[in-house]
Formats: sequence, C-alpha cells, structure tokens
Amino acid sequence: MNDIITCRQLTKNYQRGSVVTPALRGVTLTIPRGSFTCIIGPSGHGKSTLMHLLGGLDRPTSGSVSLDGIALDTLDERALAEVRSRKIGFVFQFFNLLNNLTARENVELALMLAGVPGSRQTARAGDLLARVGLADRADYRPAQLSGGQQQRVAIARALANNPPLLLMDEPTGNLDSEAEAEILAILKSLHAEGTTVVLVTHNAEIAARAEQIIRVRDGLAFMTAEDAAAGRLVA
Amino acid sequence: MNLPKLVVNNMTRRRGRFVFTLLGITIGIGAFVTFLALGGSLKQEVMREANALGANLVVTPKGSCAYEQVSILTGEVLPSNITMEEYARVKALPGMTVVPVLAEKSAINNRPVSVSGILPDEMRAFKGWQIAAGSDLAATDEIAVLLGAEAAEQFRLQPGGKVVVRGEALPVKGVLAATGGKDDVTVFLPLATAQRLFGTGSHVSYLAVKVDDVTGIDLAIERIREQVSLGVVSDRQMLASVLAIVGSVNVTLQLIAAVAVLAAAFGIVNTMLTATYERKREIGILQALGATRRTIFTLFLVESGLYGLLGGVCGVGSGLLFTLAVAPHLEQNAFTSFVKGSGGIGLPDPLVIGGAILFSAAVAVLAGLYPAWRASRLSPVEAISYE
Repeated sequence: MNDIITCRQLTKNYQRGSVVTPALRGVTLTIPRGSFTCIIGPSGHGKSTLMHLLGGLDRPTSGSVSLDGIALDTLDERALAEVRSRKIGFVFQFFNLLNNLTARENVELALMLAGVPGSRQTARAGDLLARVGLADRADYRPAQLSGGQQQRVAIARALANNPPLLLMDEPTGNLDSEAEAEILAILKSLHAEGTTVVLVTHNAEIAARAEQIIRVRDGLAFMTAEDAAAGRLVA
Repeated sequence: MNLPKLVVNNMTRRRGRFVFTLLGITIGIGAFVTFLALGGSLKQEVMREANALGANLVVTPKGSCAYEQVSILTGEVLPSNITMEEYARVKALPGMTVVPVLAEKSAINNRPVSVSGILPDEMRAFKGWQIAAGSDLAATDEIAVLLGAEAAEQFRLQPGGKVVVRGEALPVKGVLAATGGKDDVTVFLPLATAQRLFGTGSHVSYLAVKVDDVTGIDLAIERIREQVSLGVVSDRQMLASVLAIVGSVNVTLQLIAAVAVLAAAFGIVNTMLTATYERKREIGILQALGATRRTIFTLFLVESGLYGLLGGVCGVGSGLLFTLAVAPHLEQNAFTSFVKGSGGIGLPDPLVIGGAILFSAAVAVLAGLYPAWRASRLSPVEAISYE
C-alpha cells in the first residue's frame, strides 16, 4: 500500500468508425504515495489519455488501474464518480471553472457533489481560497480573474474534499512565469503536507523538480530517458 | 451551493432564450386556461338560460336538431313555420300553458339584438315578468316595443324613446325588470306586429309549454304529438343536447390549446438540447468533480420541469386575465352569446388551476427526458476534451 497508483498492462484504443487508433499500448507503472511525479512526453503520445485512465475519467480497453487500493476497472459508474469526488483533485490546463459561478461557488460545487451540507460549504470554500491566497477574490467570477488566479481557484476546488491525489494536466501551460511560480509554490507546500502530486507537463523545468518522471512515448511508459531510448519498459 | 441554485443559475444565463422558451409554454397553457374558462362559463350560461326559459317543453318545427335548440336558448333567428292554427290546437290541450314565440333578429345602432314576437298577456303570465318602467304591451297588434332591462340600459332607451325595426320606428312602451336571462337583451314586439314586420304571415318559430304536473311530462309530449305533426322536446333533452354541442366545442378548443402546449414542449426540448451542447464541457467538469450520471440527469430534468412550472403559473395568470379582458368583446353568435352578457366570467375552480400548472410541469418534464438523457450519457473525457 505504499503505492497510491498501480497500473498493469494498460491499453486504450480509440475507435472512430472502423478505424482503431491505439493511444496506450500496454503501460505498467507505479506511483508512490506522497510523491511528486511528472508525466512527460511529446504531444499526442498518450500522456492525457494516461492521466484520464489514472483518474477514472475514462476506462481502459484492457489492463487494470488501482488507486488507493481500489481497483477502478471493477467499479460501476456511480462508484467511480465517488472515487473522483473523494480521492482525486483534478486540475486542467484551461482551468475549467464554471464561468457563471463565483470563485467561492466553484469550490462549493465540489463540496456539494461530495455531499457536504450547504451550511458547511461556505466556510470550507473560504478556507481553501485563503489557502491559495484568494480570500479577497471569493466573490469574483472567473472572467474577472487573471489566468494565474483562475488556476489557483481550480486548485482550491481540487483540494475541496481533501483528496490524497492531485492529478494535473499542464496546469501552468497557459500561464506566465510569475503565475507559474505561484502555482508551483502552492504545489510544493501541498506535496510537503503529504499530498501525492501527479503532473502532466511539457515543461522541463518543472519536470526537473519531480521525484519521479514517467516518460510516455508511442503509447508506452518508460522510467528514464535511457530506458526510453532503449525501449526498456517499466517492469 | 445546491442543486436548485445551480439549476436557476444555468437556466437564466441565456436571458433571451429563457424568456422565449418560457413565453412558449406560457402561451400554450394560457390558451388552454382561456378555453377552459370560456368553456366553463359557456356551460354555466347554458344551464341558466335553460332555466330562464321557464318552459318544461318546447314545440319546434318538425326535424329540428340541436342547433335550433341552441338558438332557442340564445335568441337567434329561427325558421318560422308553425302556424297559429297549430298553436291553437296545442293550446287547447288540457293540463298545460302554451305561448307562441316568433324569434327574429334586428339591430339597434348597428348592434345585433334578438327580437321576439309574443302575445303580451300570455307571455307575462308565463314568465312572471315585472315591468320596471312604463307599461306592458296591451294588444297583439299594438305598434310598440317592450325592452329587456339590459337592452334598455345598453342603448339608453326609456319609455317614450324609439326603436327602428325593419325600417319602422316603434315607440318604447315599457322596460322589463332584470330577469338574469337572455330576455334582458331582447326587444319584444306584439306578435301580430312582429309577423307583419318580418313578413312571416301567421307563423311562429316555437311554442313554449309549461306543464301543470311535471310528473306527467311524458303524457304531455304524447298528447302534443297526437295533436300536431311537430317536434316536441323537453327542457332536459334540450339541455342535454345543447350541452353536448357545448361540450364538443370545448373539446375542440382544448385540442387546439393542446397543440399549442405540444409546440411549446418541443420548444423546451430544443432549448434543453441546445443547452446540453453548450454545456458539454461543464458537464465534463461536473463529472470530474464527482457528479454521477444521475446528478447530471437530474440537473437537466429539474431545469426543464422548472420551465413547465413557471410557464404554468404565468400561463394560468395570463389565461385568466385574457379571459376577463376578452370575454365581453366576443362577437355574438349562437355559441359565444352565452358568454357575452352573462355578467362576468366565473373563475375556474382551484382544482382546474392547479391541474393546469401540474399539466404544464408534467409536459415539461417529459420534454426534458431526452435532453437530460443525452447530457447524462456524455463521457467525462468526451465532455472535457470538447472545445
């Protein structure tokens, strides 16, 4: 149980009409609990697909994913939604906030979906926004916030239900360097508190800070650049 | 944050679409309620007129059908081919009082009014009329008119005034006290004068019969049929056949309204389907945050149902207002004249109002099923990856 994620022989094919496109061709990997892991690799080689499968947003064509001891492939739709709500915080490149709701309401939404009663939502959302330095922006809508601020709201929302795992897809891909530094500082402190951070990125600088790097190439995962060059798969 | 708040937020973000979709269902339900209210008062009015007729039996020309029976109740023109000789034969029968009526139509100041040719003394006794102003007609060939209370008020006529019927100016001799029926809007002429003016010879339109012993009504019908070759209908039969007509008119109107509601339902389907496309990405976000398919389904279905509920309330309100505003201006004809001049539209009972709102909500929920199902079938990845 020292690994928060274990996946074995994970494949994913996308089918459009009669054309089958393999996105993942057999990924086996483990992510240790409490680690800071980066998934890197060229565009279109399966990074995002891998992240979707690890986070239970999509189902593999074959193979298995286990998250915090739960075999995701055995879960029905409702149980999978429950896992997404309580075990995982997602952060996306384009923030994916609901533009009609204020920062606070966006965070409250995640609490609502986890069944937190309305009376406790407001205080909790306020704490989380304070945590990412946006206490004074709680009643702003996404359009009134900068990109960096929006991404911090998204992080506050991802943290809403104290998930053990943060799954991020290019969280700084759309930000300037100043905003990126702010985000990374937050991630660093979250990591220090024991949250597992898994981050898909193109950014070599960020990857350099990771404790573990997983390279995705041609739908396969490798642990080091040498392995990738030699085609040596993870055990 | 809670589900209702989220629904309202979603619903009102596109103001124009929200308003127009709501307007669709409002109009549909409004039409429905209007027809229901008008139809309801139509029925009440038929009952009242049948009551005010004061007859147990009506003798009509042979082969008369429900349409003629409606006309008797509303004061429309009727064919006049019952002879005075036939009247005399019926009148001679024991155990009943009989009065002849010539039903015609004229106009005062270009507004149509019913004109009845009557035997003044017989009719007054038959109906128990009271004279409110002036005096009653005296002879059957007198050149004068007697006015119903409302007709006198509407045309500002008092004894001493003149009414032109068929080009002949007739002095107003008296005004009846209000009766609450169509007599109030009728101009009465002595029978012989009316027959002369309308050129009907010695014919009348129908005979109103009051039977001394109500339990012997079937016997009375038999006797009349033996005596003359005319149609005889009891007030009950007449009421039943007129109500059947009114009922079928009502059903027709309500079918039209149902089509309007159906069209509005498709408006809701359209709006909700558009919303599922627009919010594809948001649906994915909600799913990533832990929303189940059922939550997404509920979110869309509640939004759709809310359109129905709001539209139902607005529709009932506007339907009732419209009814109150439009009923007095309805053109007079055999059917609508029941409504006109009935002195106000009875509000439909609360059950009908509640039913209309529930109906609206139910239709909207049905309309929302498919879009909600579509929304809930989206996979999180498909939704999030949607640009």
